[in-house]
Amino acid sequence: MQEVTPRVTAPYLEGFAHKTVRILGKVIQLRGEQATIDAGGQINIHLNRDAHLTPNHAVEIIGKVQSDLSVRVLTSTDFGANIDFAAAEAVVDATHRYHEIFYPKED
Amino acid sequence: MTSYGAQGGTGGGGFIPGGSQNSPSGATREYGNETLRPVTIKQVLDAEQKPDSEFSLDGSRITQITLIGQVRNISTQTTNVTYKLDDGTGTLEVKQWIDSDAPSPLDGGDTSKPKIVDNAYVRVWGKIKDFNNRRHVGAHVIRPIADYNEISYHLLEATVVHLYFTRGPPDAAAGKGGQGAVAYGGQQQIGYGNQGMGAFEPLPNGTSAAARKVYEVLKNSPQSNEGLHMQDIAGRGRMDMAEVGKGSDELLALGKIYTTVDDLTWAILDT
Repeated sequence: MQEVTPRVTAPYLEGFAHKTVRILGKVIQLRGEQATIDAGGQINIHLNRDAHLTPNHAVEIIGKVQSDLSVRVLTSTDFGANIDFAAAEAVVDATHRYHEIFYPKED
Repeated sequence: MTSYGAQGGTGGGGFIPGGSQNSPSGATREYGNETLRPVTIKQVLDAEQKPDSEFSLDGSRITQITLIGQVRNISTQTTNVTYKLDDGTGTLEVKQWIDSDAPSPLDGGDTSKPKIVDNAYVRVWGKIKDFNNRRHVGAHVIRPIADYNEISYHLLEATVVHLYFTRGPPDAAAGKGGQGAVAYGGQQQIGYGNQGMGAFEPLPNGTSAAARKVYEVLKNSPQSNEGLHMQDIAGRGRMDMAEVGKGSDELLALGKIYTTVDDLTWAILDT
């Protein structure tokens, strides 16, 4: 498990290709081994065996960003149906705006 | 029982308050500066350790902290339970001493306290410790998070407080009645706020917290036209002399205060 997993939304994925990130999103669609979540835009994710996603619930995913900007899940946590996504998005904004308290920025 | 124990509700957990009171040299001063700061794990790992073994963050002394994290590992020893927490900004060991009189939160014998399990999110209150150069947090209280929105809330609060110490209070918020300021005054006990931030309007954006504090003391303390001496400002504002020095230098440079009878006595320059 990576020590640092920056919180991101869909627009940030490109800057984090091949990195391990943390995404809080809403489960839109389940398709067997794959799923789509919404976190500032739609993200395709590849599930692992332990992942139990519930449609319309919020889920927090720690996963690795692939070249095609899909995300391979390492762990997932169900966050239920009462998540304030505006607050979660504000956290992502703060994470990158004031990264000095969230993650070391590589050049 | 002190207020820590009361807040924690750990029953008999009186050892932590004792820990801070047993250091006779720093006890009085530390008490005056007692704060509770919301932080990320990265901030704990980055905190600077002072020679007197206290920690400082963004140039401000920290005593009590609160953080959130996901439990990655639980290791139970005879005297303590060590949790490895991960909040996305880093990982950190959090130790909680076992109170032999109270049932362990792990065995779930006490139904009034929720159980802490692997991968659960928890909130921790405690103090940063360094033991053999291994930084960890000594926890007074650990409780599972029931509403996941608390994670977003905590991270945003940590950001706000970080910005408060690095950039000064948000002046834009002053117009909205300074709710932020009042919240800090209550929580951090640093004496800001009850007057609202409107009082600081003459100071430009980016003025440090120390400078604002000195200005506030000068503005609101009864004084002759000689102003106040550094020592007096430190006493009234419950500040470090070094902090007063830093703040006053900044205010002098801004032309907001001027020296009167000697180099260490200042009055507000009315414009």
